Amino acid sequence: MKADIAVVGSGLAALVATRTLQQAGRNPVLIWPGLSSLYFTYATVDVLGYSDLTATQPVEQPEAGVAQLIADHPDHPYAVAGLDALRSGTTLLIEWLRAAGFSWQGSLAHNLLLPTAIGTPKPSCLVPDSMAPGDLRRDEPIVFCGFHGYEDFVPELAASNLSRSWGRGEGSVRAIRVSLPGFDASRLFTSIDLARSFEDKAFRQEVASRIRREISVDGHRLGVPAVLGLTHDSDIHSSFATQVGHPVFEIPTLPPSVLGLRLFDRLRKHIQESGVEMIWAAPAHEAEVSDGRCRRIFLKSAGREQPIDARAYVLALEDTVDGALRAGVHTVVDPFFHQSLAHHAVPTERTDESLFKPQPFASIGYPVTDRLQPSDDAGRPLAGNVFVAGGAIAGYDPVGTKSRGGLAIATGYRAAKEAMAA
Amino acid sequence: MPDTTTGVVVIGGGSTGAGVLRDLSMRGIDAVLVEKGDLASGTTGRSHGLLHSGGRYCVNDLAAAIECVEEGRILRRIARTTIEDTGGYFVSVSEEDEAWVPRFVEGCGKAGISCERISVEEARRREPALSKQVRTVFWIPEDGHLDPFYLVMGNVESARRRGAQVRTYTEVTGFNRDGNRVTGVLTRDTMTGEETTIGCKAVINATGAWAGFVAKLLDVEVKVVPVKGVMVVLSHRVAHATINRCHKPGDGDIIVPALSVAILGTTAVRVPHPEVLPIEWEEVRHMIEEGSLMADGVSTARAMRAYAGVRPLYDLGAEAEGREMSRNFAVIDHEQRDGIAGFASIVGGKVTTYRLMAERVTDLVARRLGVTMPCATAGVPLNDRDDELDQLRHRPAQVGVPKPHGDELALQPLVCECELVRPQDVAPWFEDPAVRTLEDIRRRTRTGMGPCQAAVCSYRLAGRLVTDRHQDGPAATRAMADLLETRWRGVRHVFWGSQLRQAQVTAGLHLELFNLDRQLMLEKSTAPAGHFPPPQGEGQGGGVETAEVASQR
Repeated sequence: MKADIAVVGSGLAALVATRTLQQAGRNPVLIWPGLSSLYFTYATVDVLGYSDLTATQPVEQPEAGVAQLIADHPDHPYAVAGLDALRSGTTLLIEWLRAAGFSWQGSLAHNLLLPTAIGTPKPSCLVPDSMAPGDLRRDEPIVFCGFHGYEDFVPELAASNLSRSWGRGEGSVRAIRVSLPGFDASRLFTSIDLARSFEDKAFRQEVASRIRREISVDGHRLGVPAVLGLTHDSDIHSSFATQVGHPVFEIPTLPPSVLGLRLFDRLRKHIQESGVEMIWAAPAHEAEVSDGRCRRIFLKSAGREQPIDARAYVLALEDTVDGALRAGVHTVVDPFFHQSLAHHAVPTERTDESLFKPQPFASIGYPVTDRLQPSDDAGRPLAGNVFVAGGAIAGYDPVGTKSRGGLAIATGYRAAKEAMAA
Repeated sequence: MPDTTTGVVVIGGGSTGAGVLRDLSMRGIDAVLVEKGDLASGTTGRSHGLLHSGGRYCVNDLAAAIECVEEGRILRRIARTTIEDTGGYFVSVSEEDEAWVPRFVEGCGKAGISCERISVEEARRREPALSKQVRTVFWIPEDGHLDPFYLVMGNVESARRRGAQVRTYTEVTGFNRDGNRVTGVLTRDTMTGEETTIGCKAVINATGAWAGFVAKLLDVEVKVVPVKGVMVVLSHRVAHATINRCHKPGDGDIIVPALSVAILGTTAVRVPHPEVLPIEWEEVRHMIEEGSLMADGVSTARAMRAYAGVRPLYDLGAEAEGREMSRNFAVIDHEQRDGIAGFASIVGGKVTTYRLMAERVTDLVARRLGVTMPCATAGVPLNDRDDELDQLRHRPAQVGVPKPHGDELALQPLVCECELVRPQDVAPWFEDPAVRTLEDIRRRTRTGMGPCQAAVCSYRLAGRLVTDRHQDGPAATRAMADLLETRWRGVRHVFWGSQLRQAQVTAGLHLELFNLDRQLMLEKSTAPAGHFPPPQGEGQGGGVETAEVASQR
């Protein structure tokens, strides 16, 4: 098939790139390789949580933090994408979230500080309304509420950790549990089952009344696992909070992450409904290059290879999760240009001895030009009309600095802009 | 004055020590087992889990082979729920291997091993995984998989019900003596540093590769040669039955389908110390290459982790090294040999023959104590109560695997989806004072041993540390991190293909969604890293309580 610009990927970078193209009046095709693992772990958009890998003090102003990071590290993917791309991309995303019916808050000016499911404060930039009341810059005491038989959120663990790092005096953090009508602890249920039940008004009302009985004093806020509805989060969240009689905030749980599902499913549907063609579950590979330009890429679809001829391509794949990179025993190659992106004599070189340190493998990716084109070792573009966004860029490792969302936005936006000019 | 007294102190919590503890308790002898780590955390838990028919030893080590035949049959009676009765193939894949075939057939005959030659076509019909290189195939019905963790726990629980005690994370630092007679052991809790003296009439040194260090505390020598073996775990079973290469035993010539995984083994490298067990890339590569010669799918399966164990080969003074050395065992009567009364060592051997090893050394010590009751361990099943550790064989049925039709789709809750571990499988262990780390929970329940390597279940276990074990958040979080780190150490050696995707999900979950790296930086736990203390107000062990715990299971 022929296309104007083809975007390959299933994460936030691919979505931002596609939306950028659409808003600019172009006609993108979104090639979605399959259910991304990001569905399972994404909840908020984090732009910069910590200035470096050892900082324990959170970044308060993410935009200023990124500006400083760009000044200190001119090769960082943020620096290649540019601060303007982050700003414009963030504005675009906030507007898009609104248009898609989400209620989110936050801005590049300030990070929120939200408790995680282990009770550790974590800085995030853009968050759903349903998480925002958890902001630890506010002072109200917190009650974590778990559900009997649901082990994917343990309120006692969150309360114990948070009371040490944040506690506002005796009794400012505590844990309760309630049983859920119809959910027998001897049967298996997941966050998805709970989220579906929370879409039912009578169910919500009953749970709210059980919680009210446990919290007798006013002025508290309630942290619950993120299961308040599969799709209509803001309505359900606000009506539930009213029923409970306290501010309520959601906390991301073990996978499946309902927050991730809500975000990606709705953005994907919205962009499809607004006219973008999407090719579902088709891993792309094999760039055919001539005269310095990519003429087509190929999709693996049922039983045959389908060529896509586009004027430009945005490869917005998230590392190995989306299949952007193929890790053999010694060599990591990319599926489009078959570049050897890294070679390791032994596989242990790809990792640190500790899981909690930066992993060398996470930084593997395409070297890119200052226009985000994948390049060879000499810095020459592999194809003038291909641009990379997201985790497949060399040196792109959002884990330690908590910058996954911001990096996706900045590189996705910039790659889309470059693709339009190509 | 000792802090406590007992009849016999057993040192070592591997299969041999656990077998000795059970044997003593069945003869009515009071006993305490002390182990410096967790039960099954040394050689036993790091074996490849092959229940030996004896075929592997029948040419070079006939005595060991005969023991395997007899003990394998006994284990099928007394420990049936720890065994997967898969049967096994011995296959030759080269001309060189073919030369071994007549010797193998002769050896099987001498040892009494059932052995049937089947055509390659028939073999491939039964076991499609067999590779194209396979030339000759023998069916050995008595090879199988022996779960080393359940075996040790089964022995220990059986002994505890008879009043025996277990103290994990308890290291022996010295002995009390009265002249030439050992009268007690001095121990130190490796986590709290607490020192205790246990008075006793006799001590059995069942520490395998560590036996020399224990004996040295009494200034006697026990020469054990530590020989490292590296294993690779694949994320699925690969084959229905165990596969052995029919040749002179060498590296990488065993494939054991074990519950949800397959284990490739192994190497044999003499090491300077039983705890120095580096995993070399060459060993991992060799395991996979050699395994691929016997079975298709080995090189394309997802390798999930690698681990190393140490064989405790007993040095009989011969020139032999490593695999050339006998897998036979020896009971050392230190009263006779060194003039130290009340001390015996049991060395060499292997998991398959643990019971016989225990019987022999217990015979000696019982005789010295004037106990005439004979060994009863071969006749009484480990699960001599209905509530025994029965998960291995029956777990999938208990969990209620959905059927295509009918009304059994209601699954039970799971703590670990990869290994189908239910809340009631883990809950009792949180009350067991012998359990001090989440790795201990893993060894007892298989939680965290599947493809995600504890990425998901570690959070649920940490939650239970707070709710069931009354630990504070930082200690529970540290324990969760430690479980992930120990898993990671094995994952790193086979880090290619989809392993990278799994690692990204694990990091996304724990470092991004939970912010665990910052939690670890911010909060230095008050407890020493890696463990949580026993439940409050309880001592270690105690048969009666444990029996109640077991009955809830």
